[in-house]
Amino acid sequence: MTDTLKLSLDFKGLLCPMPVVKIAQAMKQVQVGESVEAVATDPGVMADIPAWARTSGNEVITLEKREKDIRFVVRRLK
Amino acid sequence: MTETIELALKTLESQLNQPLETALEACARCGICAEACHYYRAEPKVEHIPAYRSEQLRSVYRYEHDFLSRIFPTWTHAKKLDETTLAKLSEMAYSQCTLCRRCTVNCPLGVDTPLMMRAIRAMATAAGTAPEILVMLADSAIEKGKDPSFFKDMFLDQIRDMEVQMRDIMGDPNTTIPVEKQGAKILYVPLAGAHTILPPAIVFNAAKEDWTLSIFEAANYGVFLADVNRAKQVAKRIVDEANRLGVKEIVIAECGHAYASYRWDVPNWFAGQFDFKVRSLIEVLAEYIRDGKIKVDPTTISAGVTYHDSCNLARNGGLIEEPRYVLSKITTDFREMTPNKAEALCCGGGGGLVALAEYTDRRLAAGKPKADQIKKTGAKIVVAACENCRLQIGDLNEHYQLGVHISALTDLVVRAMRLPKPLPGHEAEHLFEGEKAPVLGD
Repeated sequence: MTDTLKLSLDFKGLLCPMPVVKIAQAMKQVQVGESVEAVATDPGVMADIPAWARTSGNEVITLEKREKDIRFVVRRLK
Repeated sequence: MTETIELALKTLESQLNQPLETALEACARCGICAEACHYYRAEPKVEHIPAYRSEQLRSVYRYEHDFLSRIFPTWTHAKKLDETTLAKLSEMAYSQCTLCRRCTVNCPLGVDTPLMMRAIRAMATAAGTAPEILVMLADSAIEKGKDPSFFKDMFLDQIRDMEVQMRDIMGDPNTTIPVEKQGAKILYVPLAGAHTILPPAIVFNAAKEDWTLSIFEAANYGVFLADVNRAKQVAKRIVDEANRLGVKEIVIAECGHAYASYRWDVPNWFAGQFDFKVRSLIEVLAEYIRDGKIKVDPTTISAGVTYHDSCNLARNGGLIEEPRYVLSKITTDFREMTPNKAEALCCGGGGGLVALAEYTDRRLAAGKPKADQIKKTGAKIVVAACENCRLQIGDLNEHYQLGVHISALTDLVVRAMRLPKPLPGHEAEHLFEGEKAPVLGD
Protein backbone atom coordinates (compact mmCIF):
# COMPACT_ATOMS: atom_id res chain seq x y z
CA MET A 1 0.00 0.00 0.00
CA THR A 2 1.28 3.42 -0.89
CA ASP A 3 0.11 6.57 0.89
CA THR A 4 -1.32 7.87 -2.39
CA LEU A 5 -3.66 4.90 -2.73
CA LYS A 6 -7.21 6.15 -2.43
CA LEU A 7 -9.40 3.34 -3.78
CA SER A 8 -9.29 -0.45 -3.90
CA LEU A 9 -11.60 -2.10 -6.41
CA ASP A 10 -12.64 -5.64 -7.21
CA PHE A 11 -13.03 -6.36 -10.94
CA LYS A 12 -13.03 -10.13 -10.54
CA GLY A 13 -15.34 -11.76 -13.08
CA LEU A 14 -15.59 -8.65 -15.25
CA LEU A 15 -14.81 -9.20 -18.90
CA CYS A 16 -13.37 -6.78 -21.47
CA PRO A 17 -13.98 -3.86 -21.74
CA MET A 18 -15.48 -3.51 -18.27
CA PRO A 19 -12.19 -3.42 -16.28
CA VAL A 20 -11.03 -0.47 -18.42
CA VAL A 21 -14.44 1.21 -18.16
CA LYS A 22 -14.48 0.83 -14.37
CA ILE A 23 -10.91 1.97 -13.79
CA ALA A 24 -11.47 5.00 -16.04
CA GLN A 25 -14.50 5.92 -13.92
CA ALA A 26 -12.57 5.39 -10.70
CA MET A 27 -9.70 7.64 -11.79
CA LYS A 28 -12.14 10.54 -11.95
CA GLN A 29 -12.82 10.13 -8.26
CA VAL A 30 -9.20 10.72 -7.22
CA GLN A 31 -6.92 13.73 -7.46
CA VAL A 32 -3.83 14.07 -9.65
CA GLY A 33 -1.00 12.12 -8.00
CA GLU A 34 -3.35 9.72 -6.22
CA SER A 35 -3.69 6.04 -7.09
CA VAL A 36 -6.30 3.34 -7.51
CA GLU A 37 -5.72 -0.35 -6.95
CA ALA A 38 -7.77 -3.08 -8.60
CA VAL A 39 -7.87 -6.85 -8.81
CA ALA A 40 -9.17 -8.53 -11.97
CA THR A 41 -9.41 -12.03 -13.38
CA ASP A 42 -9.66 -11.25 -17.10
CA PRO A 43 -6.12 -11.70 -18.49
CA GLY A 44 -6.95 -9.11 -21.14
CA VAL A 45 -6.19 -6.42 -18.55
CA MET A 46 -2.48 -7.23 -18.85
CA ALA A 47 -2.48 -5.49 -22.23
CA ASP A 48 -5.53 -3.27 -21.98
CA ILE A 49 -4.70 -1.42 -18.76
CA PRO A 50 -1.19 -0.29 -19.85
CA ALA A 51 -2.57 0.72 -23.28
CA TRP A 52 -5.42 2.68 -21.73
CA ALA A 53 -3.04 4.35 -19.23
CA ARG A 54 -0.74 5.50 -22.03
CA THR A 55 -3.56 7.25 -23.84
CA SER A 56 -5.45 8.67 -20.89
CA GLY A 57 -2.91 10.49 -18.76
CA ASN A 58 -2.43 7.77 -16.16
CA GLU A 59 0.52 5.65 -15.08
CA VAL A 60 0.56 1.96 -14.26
CA ILE A 61 2.66 1.64 -11.11
CA THR A 62 2.13 -2.07 -10.58
CA LEU A 63 0.78 -4.83 -12.80
CA GLU A 64 1.28 -8.25 -11.34
CA LYS A 65 -0.07 -11.63 -12.21
CA ARG A 66 -0.88 -13.61 -9.10
CA GLU A 67 -1.97 -17.22 -8.68
CA LYS A 68 -5.69 -16.59 -9.23
CA ASP A 69 -5.94 -12.97 -10.31
CA ILE A 70 -4.14 -9.91 -11.60
CA ARG A 71 -3.46 -6.89 -9.39
CA PHE A 72 -2.72 -3.46 -10.75
CA VAL A 73 -2.21 0.02 -9.35
CA VAL A 74 -2.72 3.11 -11.49
CA ARG A 75 -1.73 6.68 -10.65
CA ARG A 76 -3.51 9.70 -12.06
CA LEU A 77 -1.03 11.98 -13.81
CA LYS A 78 -3.28 14.74 -15.12
CA MET B 1 -19.95 29.91 -35.20
CA THR B 2 -17.74 28.16 -32.63
CA GLU B 3 -14.98 25.77 -33.62
CA THR B 4 -16.98 22.86 -32.16
CA ILE B 5 -19.99 23.60 -34.33
CA GLU B 6 -17.80 24.19 -37.34
CA LEU B 7 -16.18 20.78 -36.87
CA ALA B 8 -19.55 19.10 -36.40
CA LEU B 9 -21.03 20.65 -39.53
CA LYS B 10 -17.91 19.95 -41.55
CA THR B 11 -18.20 16.30 -40.51
CA LEU B 12 -21.87 16.22 -41.47
CA GLU B 13 -20.95 17.54 -44.91
CA SER B 14 -18.20 14.95 -45.27
CA GLN B 15 -20.67 12.17 -44.40
CA LEU B 16 -23.20 13.20 -47.01
CA ASN B 17 -23.41 10.60 -49.70
CA GLN B 18 -26.37 9.26 -51.63
CA PRO B 19 -27.59 6.80 -48.95
CA LEU B 20 -27.43 9.45 -46.20
CA GLU B 21 -29.00 12.17 -48.33
CA THR B 22 -31.80 9.76 -49.26
CA ALA B 23 -32.37 8.93 -45.60
CA LEU B 24 -32.43 12.64 -44.77
CA GLU B 25 -34.97 13.41 -47.49
CA ALA B 26 -37.28 10.39 -47.35
CA CYS B 27 -39.66 9.80 -44.49
CA ALA B 28 -43.44 9.42 -44.79
CA ARG B 29 -43.94 10.00 -41.05
CA CYS B 30 -46.02 6.82 -40.95
CA GLY B 31 -44.64 5.79 -37.57
CA ILE B 32 -44.27 2.11 -38.42
CA CYS B 33 -40.71 2.32 -37.14
CA ALA B 34 -41.98 3.01 -33.61
CA GLU B 35 -43.01 -0.56 -32.84
CA ALA B 36 -39.86 -1.85 -34.50
CA CYS B 37 -37.67 -0.08 -31.94
CA HIS B 38 -36.93 -1.80 -28.62
CA TYR B 39 -36.64 1.61 -26.94
CA TYR B 40 -40.19 2.46 -27.97
CA ARG B 41 -41.50 -0.98 -27.06
CA ALA B 42 -39.99 -0.59 -23.61
CA GLU B 43 -41.09 3.01 -23.12
CA PRO B 44 -43.63 4.23 -25.73
CA LYS B 45 -42.81 7.93 -25.92
CA VAL B 46 -42.20 10.19 -28.87
CA GLU B 47 -38.46 10.52 -28.21
CA HIS B 48 -38.17 6.78 -28.78
CA ILE B 49 -39.66 6.78 -32.26
CA PRO B 50 -36.86 6.34 -34.80
CA ALA B 51 -38.48 8.84 -37.18
CA TYR B 52 -38.45 11.43 -34.38
CA ARG B 53 -34.77 10.78 -33.79
CA SER B 54 -34.04 11.14 -37.50
CA GLU B 55 -36.00 14.39 -37.60
CA GLN B 56 -33.55 15.93 -35.13
CA LEU B 57 -30.75 15.63 -37.67
CA ARG B 58 -33.02 16.44 -40.60
CA SER B 59 -33.88 19.80 -39.06
CA VAL B 60 -30.16 20.69 -38.91
CA TYR B 61 -29.61 19.37 -42.43
CA ARG B 62 -32.52 21.44 -43.72
CA TYR B 63 -31.12 24.62 -42.20
CA GLU B 64 -27.79 24.00 -43.93
CA HIS B 65 -29.12 22.84 -47.27
CA ASP B 66 -32.50 24.42 -47.91
CA PHE B 67 -32.68 28.11 -48.83
CA LEU B 68 -36.22 28.59 -47.51
CA SER B 69 -35.34 26.85 -44.23
CA ARG B 70 -32.45 29.20 -43.71
CA ILE B 71 -34.64 32.27 -44.21
CA PHE B 72 -37.75 31.01 -42.41
CA PRO B 73 -36.58 28.14 -40.20
CA THR B 74 -39.80 28.07 -38.19
CA TRP B 75 -41.87 27.31 -41.29
CA THR B 76 -39.91 24.16 -42.10
CA HIS B 77 -38.91 23.14 -38.58
CA ALA B 78 -35.29 23.79 -39.46
CA LYS B 79 -32.73 24.37 -36.77
CA LYS B 80 -29.38 26.10 -36.69
CA LEU B 81 -26.86 23.85 -35.00
CA ASP B 82 -25.56 25.22 -31.72
CA GLU B 83 -23.76 23.73 -28.74
CA THR B 84 -26.97 22.80 -26.91
CA THR B 85 -28.45 21.09 -29.96
CA LEU B 86 -25.21 19.23 -30.63
CA ALA B 87 -25.12 17.98 -27.04
CA LYS B 88 -28.72 16.75 -27.34
CA LEU B 89 -28.05 15.10 -30.69
CA SER B 90 -24.95 13.44 -29.33
CA GLU B 91 -26.71 12.09 -26.25
CA MET B 92 -29.56 10.79 -28.39
CA ALA B 93 -27.29 9.03 -30.88
CA TYR B 94 -25.18 7.40 -28.20
CA SER B 95 -27.83 6.48 -25.65
CA GLN B 96 -31.14 6.03 -27.48
CA CYS B 97 -30.12 4.02 -30.51
CA THR B 98 -28.09 0.83 -30.62
CA LEU B 99 -27.76 0.98 -34.43
CA CYS B 100 -29.61 -2.35 -34.64
CA ARG B 101 -31.38 -1.43 -37.94
CA ARG B 102 -34.66 -3.09 -37.03
CA CYS B 103 -36.41 0.21 -37.85
CA THR B 104 -34.77 0.24 -41.28
CA VAL B 105 -35.88 -3.24 -42.31
CA ASN B 106 -39.41 -2.50 -41.10
CA CYS B 107 -39.65 0.90 -42.81
CA PRO B 108 -41.76 0.84 -46.02
CA LEU B 109 -39.25 3.26 -47.55
CA GLY B 110 -36.18 1.63 -46.04
CA VAL B 111 -35.16 4.83 -44.28
CA ASP B 112 -31.82 4.12 -42.64
CA THR B 113 -32.19 5.83 -39.27
CA PRO B 114 -29.01 4.20 -37.87
CA LEU B 115 -27.08 5.73 -40.75
CA MET B 116 -28.27 9.13 -39.52
CA MET B 117 -27.39 8.21 -35.94
CA ARG B 118 -23.93 7.23 -37.17
CA ALA B 119 -23.62 10.62 -38.87
CA ILE B 120 -24.44 12.30 -35.56
CA ARG B 121 -21.96 10.07 -33.75
CA ALA B 122 -19.30 11.07 -36.27
CA MET B 123 -20.17 14.75 -35.80
CA ALA B 124 -19.94 14.37 -32.02
CA THR B 125 -16.64 12.51 -32.22
CA ALA B 126 -15.11 15.19 -34.44
CA ALA B 127 -16.44 17.95 -32.19
CA GLY B 128 -15.22 16.27 -29.02
CA THR B 129 -18.63 15.55 -27.51
CA ALA B 130 -18.63 11.76 -27.96
CA PRO B 131 -18.55 9.63 -24.80
CA GLU B 132 -15.03 9.78 -23.43
CA ILE B 133 -14.79 6.07 -22.63
CA LEU B 134 -15.42 5.01 -26.24
CA VAL B 135 -12.69 7.38 -27.39
CA MET B 136 -10.33 5.98 -24.74
CA LEU B 137 -11.08 2.37 -25.70
CA ALA B 138 -10.47 3.10 -29.38
CA ASP B 139 -7.27 5.00 -28.64
CA SER B 140 -6.02 2.20 -26.35
CA ALA B 141 -6.40 -0.29 -29.19
CA ILE B 142 -4.53 2.03 -31.56
CA GLU B 143 -1.77 2.43 -28.96
CA LYS B 144 -1.40 -1.35 -28.74
CA GLY B 145 -0.88 -1.41 -32.49
CA LYS B 146 1.77 1.31 -32.39
CA ASP B 147 3.97 -0.43 -29.85
CA PRO B 148 3.08 -4.06 -29.11
CA SER B 149 6.33 -4.54 -27.18
CA PHE B 150 4.82 -3.25 -23.94
CA PHE B 151 2.34 -6.12 -23.72
CA LYS B 152 3.51 -8.84 -26.08
CA ASP B 153 5.54 -10.83 -23.54
CA MET B 154 2.66 -10.73 -21.07
CA PHE B 155 0.27 -11.87 -23.78
CA LEU B 156 2.53 -14.78 -24.73
CA ASP B 157 2.78 -15.79 -21.06
CA GLN B 158 -1.01 -15.90 -20.88
CA ILE B 159 -1.16 -18.03 -24.00
CA ARG B 160 1.33 -20.51 -22.54
CA ASP B 161 -0.81 -20.72 -19.37
CA MET B 162 -3.89 -21.30 -21.52
CA GLU B 163 -2.06 -23.98 -23.45
CA VAL B 164 -1.39 -25.86 -20.23
CA GLN B 165 -5.05 -25.48 -19.27
CA MET B 166 -6.19 -26.65 -22.72
CA ARG B 167 -3.99 -29.77 -22.61
CA ASP B 168 -5.49 -30.63 -19.25
CA ILE B 169 -9.07 -30.13 -20.51
CA MET B 170 -8.49 -32.09 -23.71
CA GLY B 171 -6.27 -34.73 -22.14
CA ASP B 172 -3.86 -34.25 -25.02
CA PRO B 173 -0.31 -32.99 -24.35
CA ASN B 174 0.29 -32.32 -28.03
CA THR B 175 -2.27 -29.56 -28.52
CA THR B 176 -0.97 -26.03 -29.09
CA ILE B 177 -2.06 -22.40 -29.32
CA PRO B 178 0.10 -21.03 -32.13
CA VAL B 179 0.81 -17.30 -32.17
CA GLU B 180 1.96 -15.47 -35.31
CA LYS B 181 2.45 -18.74 -37.19
CA GLN B 182 3.72 -17.92 -40.66
CA GLY B 183 1.68 -19.45 -43.47
CA ALA B 184 -1.22 -20.67 -41.31
CA LYS B 185 -4.50 -21.06 -43.15
CA ILE B 186 -6.63 -19.23 -40.58
CA LEU B 187 -5.93 -16.17 -38.47
CA TYR B 188 -8.35 -16.38 -35.57
CA VAL B 189 -9.00 -12.95 -34.05
CA PRO B 190 -10.31 -13.18 -30.48
CA LEU B 191 -11.45 -10.52 -28.06
CA ALA B 192 -9.31 -9.55 -25.09
CA GLY B 193 -9.35 -12.23 -22.41
CA ALA B 194 -9.09 -15.99 -22.15
CA HIS B 195 -12.78 -16.70 -22.58
CA THR B 196 -12.65 -16.03 -26.33
CA ILE B 197 -9.32 -17.80 -26.84
CA LEU B 198 -9.44 -21.05 -24.88
CA PRO B 199 -12.74 -22.54 -26.17
CA PRO B 200 -11.99 -21.80 -29.86
CA ALA B 201 -8.42 -23.09 -29.38
CA ILE B 202 -9.90 -26.38 -28.17
CA VAL B 203 -12.16 -26.54 -31.22
CA PHE B 204 -9.35 -25.70 -33.68
CA ASN B 205 -7.13 -28.35 -32.11
CA ALA B 206 -9.87 -30.98 -32.17
CA ALA B 207 -10.52 -30.19 -35.84
CA LYS B 208 -6.77 -30.36 -36.53
CA GLU B 209 -7.02 -26.93 -38.15
CA ASP B 210 -4.01 -25.01 -39.44
CA TRP B 211 -4.56 -21.82 -37.49
CA THR B 212 -2.87 -19.07 -35.56
CA LEU B 213 -3.57 -16.18 -33.23
CA SER B 214 -2.06 -12.76 -33.51
CA ILE B 215 -1.50 -10.58 -30.48
CA PHE B 216 -4.32 -8.19 -31.41
CA GLU B 217 -8.00 -8.40 -30.57
CA ALA B 218 -11.06 -7.96 -32.78
CA ALA B 219 -12.99 -5.29 -30.85
CA ASN B 220 -13.10 -1.94 -32.63
CA TYR B 221 -14.52 0.98 -30.67
CA GLY B 222 -13.76 3.30 -33.56
CA VAL B 223 -16.79 1.72 -35.24
CA PHE B 224 -19.06 2.81 -32.38
CA LEU B 225 -17.68 6.32 -32.66
CA ALA B 226 -18.46 6.27 -36.39
CA ASP B 227 -14.90 7.49 -36.71
CA VAL B 228 -13.53 5.88 -39.86
CA ASN B 229 -10.04 7.17 -39.20
CA ARG B 230 -9.83 5.55 -35.76
CA ALA B 231 -11.68 2.42 -36.90
CA LYS B 232 -9.24 1.98 -39.80
CA GLN B 233 -6.25 2.31 -37.50
CA VAL B 234 -7.63 -0.38 -35.20
CA ALA B 235 -8.48 -2.69 -38.12
CA LYS B 236 -5.13 -2.09 -39.81
CA ARG B 237 -3.41 -4.06 -37.05
CA ILE B 238 -5.27 -7.20 -38.11
CA VAL B 239 -4.99 -6.53 -41.84
CA ASP B 240 -1.22 -6.05 -41.53
CA GLU B 241 -0.89 -9.23 -39.45
CA ALA B 242 -2.94 -11.25 -41.94
CA ASN B 243 -0.77 -9.99 -44.79
CA ARG B 244 2.47 -10.56 -42.89
CA LEU B 245 1.52 -14.11 -41.89
CA GLY B 246 0.15 -14.95 -45.33
CA VAL B 247 -3.11 -16.45 -44.04
CA LYS B 248 -5.98 -17.27 -46.37
CA GLU B 249 -8.81 -16.50 -44.02
CA ILE B 250 -9.65 -14.35 -41.01
CA VAL B 251 -12.03 -15.87 -38.49
CA ILE B 252 -13.62 -13.43 -36.08
CA ALA B 253 -14.54 -14.34 -32.51
CA GLU B 254 -18.16 -14.38 -31.39
CA CYS B 255 -18.54 -10.62 -31.64
CA GLY B 256 -21.21 -8.76 -33.58
CA HIS B 257 -19.62 -5.43 -34.35
CA ALA B 258 -16.20 -6.92 -35.08
CA TYR B 259 -17.70 -9.39 -37.55
CA ALA B 260 -19.73 -6.67 -39.25
CA SER B 261 -16.71 -4.42 -39.43
CA TYR B 262 -14.30 -6.99 -40.88
CA ARG B 263 -16.90 -8.55 -43.16
CA TRP B 264 -18.40 -5.39 -44.63
CA ASP B 265 -16.28 -2.30 -43.89
CA VAL B 266 -12.66 -3.39 -43.75
CA PRO B 267 -12.51 -4.87 -47.28
CA ASN B 268 -13.58 -1.45 -48.58
CA TRP B 269 -11.27 0.51 -46.33
CA PHE B 270 -8.29 -1.59 -47.39
CA ALA B 271 -9.21 -2.36 -50.97
CA GLY B 272 -6.19 -3.80 -52.74
CA GLN B 273 -4.52 -4.86 -49.49
CA PHE B 274 -7.26 -7.18 -48.34
CA ASP B 275 -7.50 -10.52 -50.07
CA PHE B 276 -8.90 -12.70 -47.31
CA LYS B 277 -12.09 -14.54 -46.72
CA VAL B 278 -13.76 -13.33 -43.52
CA ARG B 279 -15.91 -15.67 -41.49
CA SER B 280 -17.41 -15.64 -38.07
CA LEU B 281 -16.41 -18.38 -35.67
CA ILE B 282 -20.02 -19.59 -35.71
CA GLU B 283 -19.74 -20.41 -39.42
CA VAL B 284 -16.58 -22.39 -38.71
CA LEU B 285 -18.29 -24.30 -35.89
CA ALA B 286 -21.14 -25.24 -38.22
CA GLU B 287 -18.68 -26.39 -40.88
CA TYR B 288 -16.66 -28.54 -38.46
CA ILE B 289 -19.78 -30.26 -37.13
CA ARG B 290 -21.30 -30.73 -40.58
CA ASP B 291 -18.08 -32.18 -41.99
CA GLY B 292 -17.43 -34.36 -38.95
CA LYS B 293 -14.21 -32.52 -38.09
CA ILE B 294 -15.32 -32.34 -34.48
CA LYS B 295 -17.52 -34.86 -32.71
CA VAL B 296 -20.32 -33.62 -30.53
CA ASP B 297 -22.81 -35.48 -28.39
CA PRO B 298 -26.34 -34.32 -29.20
CA THR B 299 -27.63 -35.40 -25.82
CA THR B 300 -25.18 -33.34 -23.78
CA ILE B 301 -27.44 -30.40 -23.03
CA SER B 302 -30.96 -31.33 -22.07
CA ALA B 303 -31.97 -28.08 -20.39
CA GLY B 304 -34.06 -25.63 -22.45
CA VAL B 305 -31.85 -23.49 -24.68
CA THR B 306 -32.75 -20.32 -26.54
CA TYR B 307 -30.66 -18.28 -28.96
CA HIS B 308 -30.40 -14.51 -29.09
CA ASP B 309 -29.70 -13.21 -32.60
CA SER B 310 -27.12 -10.46 -32.45
CA CYS B 311 -28.27 -7.65 -34.77
CA ASN B 312 -24.86 -7.41 -36.41
CA LEU B 313 -24.65 -11.15 -37.02
CA ALA B 314 -28.25 -11.95 -38.01
CA ARG B 315 -30.20 -8.95 -39.34
CA ASN B 316 -27.14 -7.17 -40.72
CA GLY B 317 -24.86 -10.14 -41.34
CA GLY B 318 -27.13 -12.94 -42.52
CA LEU B 319 -25.74 -15.46 -40.02
CA ILE B 320 -29.09 -16.92 -39.07
CA GLU B 321 -29.13 -20.64 -39.76
CA GLU B 322 -25.52 -21.44 -38.80
CA PRO B 323 -25.95 -21.03 -35.03
CA ARG B 324 -29.28 -22.89 -35.16
CA TYR B 325 -27.66 -25.75 -37.03
CA VAL B 326 -24.95 -25.96 -34.36
CA LEU B 327 -27.49 -25.86 -31.55
CA SER B 328 -29.58 -28.55 -33.24
CA LYS B 329 -26.56 -30.84 -32.97
CA ILE B 330 -25.76 -30.23 -29.31
CA THR B 331 -29.10 -29.60 -27.57
CA THR B 332 -32.33 -31.54 -27.23
CA ASP B 333 -34.68 -28.74 -26.17
CA PHE B 334 -34.15 -25.66 -28.35
CA ARG B 335 -36.74 -22.90 -28.03
CA GLU B 336 -37.01 -19.91 -30.35
CA MET B 337 -37.77 -16.44 -29.06
CA THR B 338 -40.52 -14.56 -30.89
CA PRO B 339 -39.76 -12.61 -33.05
CA ASN B 340 -36.40 -14.02 -34.07
CA LYS B 341 -33.78 -14.22 -36.82
CA ALA B 342 -33.75 -11.08 -39.04
CA GLU B 343 -36.71 -9.71 -37.05
CA ALA B 344 -35.09 -10.36 -33.66
CA LEU B 345 -35.33 -7.62 -31.06
CA CYS B 346 -32.10 -5.92 -30.08
CA CYS B 347 -31.00 -6.78 -26.53
CA GLY B 348 -30.21 -3.09 -25.92
CA GLY B 349 -26.46 -3.56 -25.50
CA GLY B 350 -25.30 -2.76 -29.02
CA GLY B 351 -23.71 0.36 -30.43
CA GLY B 352 -21.19 0.48 -27.58
CA LEU B 353 -23.93 0.99 -24.98
CA VAL B 354 -22.60 -1.66 -22.59
CA ALA B 355 -19.44 0.38 -22.12
CA LEU B 356 -21.31 3.58 -21.27
CA ALA B 357 -21.95 3.43 -17.55
CA GLU B 358 -23.73 6.80 -17.59
CA TYR B 359 -26.57 5.25 -19.61
CA THR B 360 -26.97 2.02 -17.66
CA ASP B 361 -30.54 2.78 -16.54
CA ARG B 362 -31.65 3.53 -20.11
CA ARG B 363 -29.90 0.42 -21.36
CA LEU B 364 -31.60 -1.80 -18.82
CA ALA B 365 -34.99 -0.24 -19.52
CA ALA B 366 -34.54 -0.70 -23.27
CA GLY B 367 -33.64 -4.33 -22.70
CA LYS B 368 -36.98 -5.19 -21.10
CA PRO B 369 -38.58 -6.48 -24.34
CA LYS B 370 -35.64 -8.87 -24.71
CA ALA B 371 -35.91 -9.90 -21.07
CA ASP B 372 -39.61 -10.61 -21.60
CA GLN B 373 -38.84 -12.67 -24.70
CA ILE B 374 -36.30 -14.76 -22.80
CA LYS B 375 -38.69 -15.28 -19.92
CA LYS B 376 -41.44 -16.47 -22.27
CA THR B 377 -39.26 -19.23 -23.71
CA GLY B 378 -38.78 -20.75 -20.25
CA ALA B 379 -35.25 -21.64 -21.37
CA LYS B 380 -32.52 -22.07 -18.77
CA ILE B 381 -29.65 -21.28 -21.11
CA VAL B 382 -29.43 -18.22 -23.35
CA VAL B 383 -26.83 -18.50 -26.08
CA ALA B 384 -25.54 -15.32 -27.69
CA ALA B 385 -22.72 -15.19 -30.22
CA CYS B 386 -21.77 -11.60 -29.40
CA GLU B 387 -19.83 -10.33 -26.41
CA ASN B 388 -21.81 -7.10 -26.04
CA CYS B 389 -25.07 -9.05 -26.17
CA ARG B 390 -23.81 -11.48 -23.53
CA LEU B 391 -22.79 -8.60 -21.26
CA GLN B 392 -26.17 -6.94 -21.73
CA ILE B 393 -28.17 -10.15 -21.24
CA GLY B 394 -26.07 -10.83 -18.15
CA ASP B 395 -27.17 -7.47 -16.77
CA LEU B 396 -30.79 -8.11 -17.82
CA ASN B 397 -30.58 -11.49 -16.11
CA GLU B 398 -29.67 -9.79 -12.86
CA HIS B 399 -31.98 -6.79 -13.22
CA TYR B 400 -35.10 -8.71 -14.27
CA GLN B 401 -34.23 -11.86 -12.28
CA LEU B 402 -34.45 -14.15 -15.27
CA GLY B 403 -32.54 -16.99 -13.62
CA VAL B 404 -30.80 -18.09 -16.81
CA HIS B 405 -27.27 -19.09 -17.68
CA ILE B 406 -25.70 -17.06 -20.50
CA SER B 407 -23.24 -18.76 -22.78
CA ALA B 408 -21.23 -18.29 -25.93
CA LEU B 409 -21.99 -20.82 -28.66
CA THR B 410 -18.42 -22.13 -28.70
CA ASP B 411 -18.53 -22.89 -24.98
CA LEU B 412 -21.56 -25.12 -25.46
CA VAL B 413 -19.91 -26.85 -28.42
CA VAL B 414 -16.85 -27.57 -26.28
CA ARG B 415 -19.12 -28.94 -23.58
CA ALA B 416 -20.80 -31.21 -26.15
CA MET B 417 -17.38 -32.49 -27.23
CA ARG B 418 -17.34 -34.47 -23.97
CA LEU B 419 -13.71 -33.75 -23.19
CA PRO B 420 -11.95 -35.23 -20.15
CA LYS B 421 -12.35 -31.99 -18.17
CA PRO B 422 -14.79 -29.05 -18.45
CA LEU B 423 -14.01 -25.45 -19.36
CA PRO B 424 -13.45 -23.10 -16.43
CA GLY B 425 -16.89 -21.98 -15.24
CA HIS B 426 -18.55 -25.12 -16.61
CA GLU B 427 -17.49 -27.43 -13.80
CA ALA B 428 -20.88 -27.67 -12.14
CA GLU B 429 -23.59 -29.68 -13.87
CA HIS B 430 -26.23 -27.60 -12.11
CA LEU B 431 -25.33 -24.56 -14.28
CA PHE B 432 -27.08 -26.32 -17.09
CA GLU B 433 -30.12 -27.22 -15.06
CA GLY B 434 -30.87 -23.61 -14.25
CA GLU B 435 -30.39 -23.83 -10.50
CA LYS B 436 -27.85 -21.04 -10.54
CA ALA B 437 -27.19 -18.61 -13.30
CA PRO B 438 -23.97 -16.63 -13.41
CA VAL B 439 -22.46 -15.26 -16.61
CA LEU B 440 -19.43 -17.27 -17.59
CA GLY B 441 -16.43 -15.76 -15.89
CA ASP B 442 -18.31 -14.69 -12.77
